[in-house]
Amino acid sequence: MKLSSSACSIARIPSLFASLCRPICSTSLSLSPSSLKPTTPLFLRPPTFSTSLSELNKWHHWAKNLASSVGSSFVHLDNGPDSTLLCRELRWLLEDSLEDHSLISQLGSQNYHMDVRLRASLDELYVLWRQRIEERRPFQYIVGCEHWRDLVLSVQEGVLIPRPETELIVDLVKDVVLDSRELKEGLWADLGTGSGAIAIGIGRILWSQGRVIATDLSPVAVAVATYNVLRYDLKDMIEVRKGSWFEPLKDVEGKLAGVVSNPPYIPSDDISRLQAEVGQHEPRLALDGGVSGMDDLLHLSNGAVSMLKPGGFFVFETNGEKQCQFLVDYMENNNPGKFCNVNIVSDFAGIQRFVTGFINDKCH
Amino acid sequence: MSSLILKRSFNRSLLLSQNPCTETLLVPSLFSSLSELQVKSLHSSGLRNFPSLDQNYKFLLSGFSSFLLKTVERPSRSHFRVSKRYLSSRWRERYRVLTSRICALQRNNSAFSSVLPSSVTLPCESNKDQLHSRRFRMFSTKAAVELSTSHGLTVDRIVANNWTILDESESDWKSHAAAISQSIQVIKKRLQWKKLKLRLDLLSAELNKPDLWGDPVHAGKISREHGSLMAKMKQVTAFEQELLEHIDMIKLAREEDDTELESESLNALLRMRRNSKEKELQALLAGEQDSCSCYMEVQAGAGGTESMDWAKMVMQMYKLWAQRQGYKVTVVDEMPGEIAGIKRATIKVDGEYAFGYAKAEVGVHRLVRISPFDSAKRRHTSFAAVAVIPILGDGSTHVQINESDLRIERFRAGGAGGQHVNTTESAVRIVHIPTGITATCQNERSQHMNKASAMAVLQSRLDRLEMARQAQMNAQHTHSLTEISWGNQIRTYVLHPYRMVKDLRTNYEVSDPDTVLGGAIDGFILSYLSASVDKDEDYQ
Ligand SMILES: C[S@@+](CC[C@H](N)C(=O)[O-])C[C@H]1O[C@@H](n2cnc3c(N)ncnc32)[C@H](O)[C@@H]1O
Repeated sequence: MKLSSSACSIARIPSLFASLCRPICSTSLSLSPSSLKPTTPLFLRPPTFSTSLSELNKWHHWAKNLASSVGSSFVHLDNGPDSTLLCRELRWLLEDSLEDHSLISQLGSQNYHMDVRLRASLDELYVLWRQRIEERRPFQYIVGCEHWRDLVLSVQEGVLIPRPETELIVDLVKDVVLDSRELKEGLWADLGTGSGAIAIGIGRILWSQGRVIATDLSPVAVAVATYNVLRYDLKDMIEVRKGSWFEPLKDVEGKLAGVVSNPPYIPSDDISRLQAEVGQHEPRLALDGGVSGMDDLLHLSNGAVSMLKPGGFFVFETNGEKQCQFLVDYMENNNPGKFCNVNIVSDFAGIQRFVTGFINDKCH
Repeated sequence: MSSLILKRSFNRSLLLSQNPCTETLLVPSLFSSLSELQVKSLHSSGLRNFPSLDQNYKFLLSGFSSFLLKTVERPSRSHFRVSKRYLSSRWRERYRVLTSRICALQRNNSAFSSVLPSSVTLPCESNKDQLHSRRFRMFSTKAAVELSTSHGLTVDRIVANNWTILDESESDWKSHAAAISQSIQVIKKRLQWKKLKLRLDLLSAELNKPDLWGDPVHAGKISREHGSLMAKMKQVTAFEQELLEHIDMIKLAREEDDTELESESLNALLRMRRNSKEKELQALLAGEQDSCSCYMEVQAGAGGTESMDWAKMVMQMYKLWAQRQGYKVTVVDEMPGEIAGIKRATIKVDGEYAFGYAKAEVGVHRLVRISPFDSAKRRHTSFAAVAVIPILGDGSTHVQINESDLRIERFRAGGAGGQHVNTTESAVRIVHIPTGITATCQNERSQHMNKASAMAVLQSRLDRLEMARQAQMNAQHTHSLTEISWGNQIRTYVLHPYRMVKDLRTNYEVSDPDTVLGGAIDGFILSYLSASVDKDEDYQ
């Protein structure tokens, strides 16, 4: 159980390559990490393609039928999306592809020869929707973005698509930041930042003196997070660093006001049974938390003791009740007296999801 | 004659002037304060909060007094009868100077209804620097004086005269005046003029209480309502006043044989007449929440797929209507039927007066047709219920919601969640535990936004509940929202065996259901609004 965590991250580096070597990312592999160029989300691409309303209609009709043909077969297979959900995604795909959204309500109308401006060619739209249904490629990779909180974050293969549950981490931070100037103006760290979601969420609630360092081991994640930080104009506030967990943070040891992380927490054995969109498309490095799924969580909770300053706050996302309970016990037993107000917080589905707490300021 | 000339120059400047001075309203009680004594008493009551303005005020009063002295020389019903001995040469001089400066000074008892309080603004031209910027307010509660022309014509008398209303193209001032007067009566009726004045009196009294701002929330509410009622009343009074002035001008022009002035005034009347229909319409939407955006909700009645299909048609009708109106439509929540249609849906309709119009649609809508879902091709009757909720603006007081009273649930969540699952479904349901009221949103692309939308719906639902509660408590505002029950049918749509849409409240009827279902429901809305507002009620 108590594997040395550095050993375990090294052990998992091959999986990083495995995920990068998949055909879809092969182009980025040849580039050095610094020159990795993130793909632009569909909705931000220029509307340089055009087609007629009737052609678009044809595509829409085809796509809708394809979605309907799924019925609830994916639900039975691996709790995947049903056709209602797919139809909604289809509407969003249209929204992201069309320059003029008002056309959506005109689909199926008589105005057939009307010119329609698109951000992707119609051929590409056929390919994309086929990938969605036949390969179960996640919708967010299809459109290149994920709506998360009030943000629209760029995502692509190689980066975990931020989950709705994780939005709550920002709310939890908001709650503690509200009545503490020290936290509001302090230095925060988002470890394993992926798309940069949590870091950006926090960056937007801190006061202007506040800072966030976002770290990730994956070069794709670092590139995408950097892109998203720039897009939200937060480059003065959020710094993205590449490296394993606390390693790139040696210079700020003991100075952090807060540490947040949604580390990989799925037990290795469960990976093969994941929903196709996750298991076959999202990076293993972002999901696999070792045998019990807790390798990284334990490493992070140990590190938090020395990295946070007295009174510092932490939030960790977990796989559910079992991991939450285990982590709380572990903290109390392994670092007795170091933490205080350790709490378990449930997500909106009622699953115990987060462990939060402070570093005791008396014991330092 | 010199007085006439003075008067005329004054009126011209009124006609032509577009500057703020024309909106000036005078404190009516000022007119009765012709002696220093009265001035003092006024000082000590209404104006004690504005000591620094006293000087200004006195100057103003003296000007007015002289002005009035002049005007009351003419026979009128004025109760401001004053003896001529006040009319010293000094006053005369003042009169000359002031009338040429004061832009919107009324002649006669001119009579700004006293409920109109208000801001007094002084001369625009030469004294601008010292005076124009100085305004003071007080809230008077004295009974209104009827507006009239110098010959004692009032809107009511004009209507009572029964002058023939000719076509607009006929240049006949009496015809114009009669048409405009009728409109003014309609508008007043729609605004519930009498009630409005009573309410304003009440609010004014409240506002004049010295300890009012001890409770800032209450004070804010009172002063907001006062302000908005005042604005409504001002508009009508200004319109009425303008009419009477033009009539005066026409008479004056005739006396003086000034054809240019006469046609100018006649044209002004024509413009007013054209304007008045629009004003009548506006007056239909004078309710406190009418100008708000709103949510519209449609729910299918019993009867399975056929009813759900009908509910969807009704929702579609509103979406199309709202689009035609230029409103922004967003689907907040939609529960599709298993085979077709919707069980329930909520849309947000964003735009000015969305609620004012949409509220006319509240109730049960009934459809009669041969069901496309019945293989036996039988005739079916289906029902759909419509509810409309105003979205109160930032200015209004919302029900305070405690975070701890809320339960937020993920909708259709299953499995382990978190990293295990990739889904674009992030709907949430918010339950307000004390009232059991819930709100759901599933059409946003993030959970956070779904939650925010659902919160907004919940807020409006709770606000509505509170409004209904207050309406019951407060007899003044008995405009309570009818809760929909399935017995409350408001309209029938028949597609077979004949074709017709008929409103059961107004008997308004249209023979082409397709255009109605395509969003052409303005006729129904307006006829209902006028029927419900234009009750046979004494308006004065
Ligand atoms: C579950 S994802 C979370 C991503 C993002 N924070 C979010 O919530 O959407 C875990 C992230 O941790 C990163 N990661 C895995 N091992 C790491 C390590 N040893 N050091 C730093 N980051 C690591 C992965 O690349 C991935 O981006």
